[in-house]
Amino acid sequence: MKRAQEEMIGFVLIVIIVAVFILIFIGFMISRPEKQAVESFEAESFVQSILQFTTDCRDNLEFLSIDSLINKCQKKENCLDERYSCEVLEKNLNEIISKSWNLENSLVKGYSLIILSNKQPILTIQQGNSTSNSIGAVQSFVKSGVSTEVDFEVSY
Amino acid sequence: MFVKAQLKIQQMTFMLIAITLLFVIAGLFVLVFMFSGIKESANELNERNALLLVTRLANSPEFSCGESFGMLKLNCVDEDKAMILKQNSKIYSNFWGVAGIEIQKIYPENLAECTLGNYPNCGLITVYSDDKNKGASSSNFVSLCRKENFEGEVYDKCEIAKLLVFPRSEQ
Repeated sequence: MKRAQEEMIGFVLIVIIVAVFILIFIGFMISRPEKQAVESFEAESFVQSILQFTTDCRDNLEFLSIDSLINKCQKKENCLDERYSCEVLEKNLNEIISKSWNLENSLVKGYSLIILSNKQPILTIQQGNSTSNSIGAVQSFVKSGVSTEVDFEVSY
Repeated sequence: MFVKAQLKIQQMTFMLIAITLLFVIAGLFVLVFMFSGIKESANELNERNALLLVTRLANSPEFSCGESFGMLKLNCVDEDKAMILKQNSKIYSNFWGVAGIEIQKIYPENLAECTLGNYPNCGLITVYSDDKNKGASSSNFVSLCRKENFEGEVYDKCEIAKLLVFPRSEQ
């Protein structure tokens, strides 16, 4: 009886040791999300840059940047030359993104940009395919009392 | 009695050897796994450092827009400053500790090298270049801003560009 107990304790000890090793190994496997952070940084800079881009849409005061144009689009207003602000916004963003994230002869498989104003989508641009290997950035700002969110995602 | 004791000692020895082997094999396994990722980690670290260097440069007083274009902007490069730096690139050759700094306009696209003669109707500002020591470049998106004149009024014009930094190659 005593010998059987000793054998059982030995067996349990071995099982515990092996389990600890397996846990350490799984810990190593899981803790490696660094690269994604570096690459998302590029997407963040891109979103910051596009919001500052000066478009050819004017109001009575100045040429509007993309972030001001988003506000104008949300209010469904026109530029000074009577072009519809949302059309100018879409055209500019389409051209900027296609020049910056080339889908031909590159690792980029697709991209999507969604602009939400007061949580309502006002513009969606999508090209190529969405894959599980992606990077992205979200930029939020409030202008003239309107809360805007720009979600950008690139798939590789 | 003596044989039984010998058997016990033998059993204990085998057990100790087995456990030691288990530890050694598990240790080797972990070491192999860790070392296999070292090269990848080094590359990632280099990539990260290069990207941080680009961002640091974009936000340094020599390049950044500061508050010249309204509020303080991140990742905003003053195009006029870049052009002035280009003219004085020899003075700054050792200042940044890199082999080259270029600013390439992405949108609107223009491939012409900027000179005082064609500025601002150009797309590539080579701020500094030491062709002999250039390594692979790292880049990041920036907005490239300058003051423009429209019908007698001055306004801020920002375009999309990439700031490229070439680290010194290891020789």
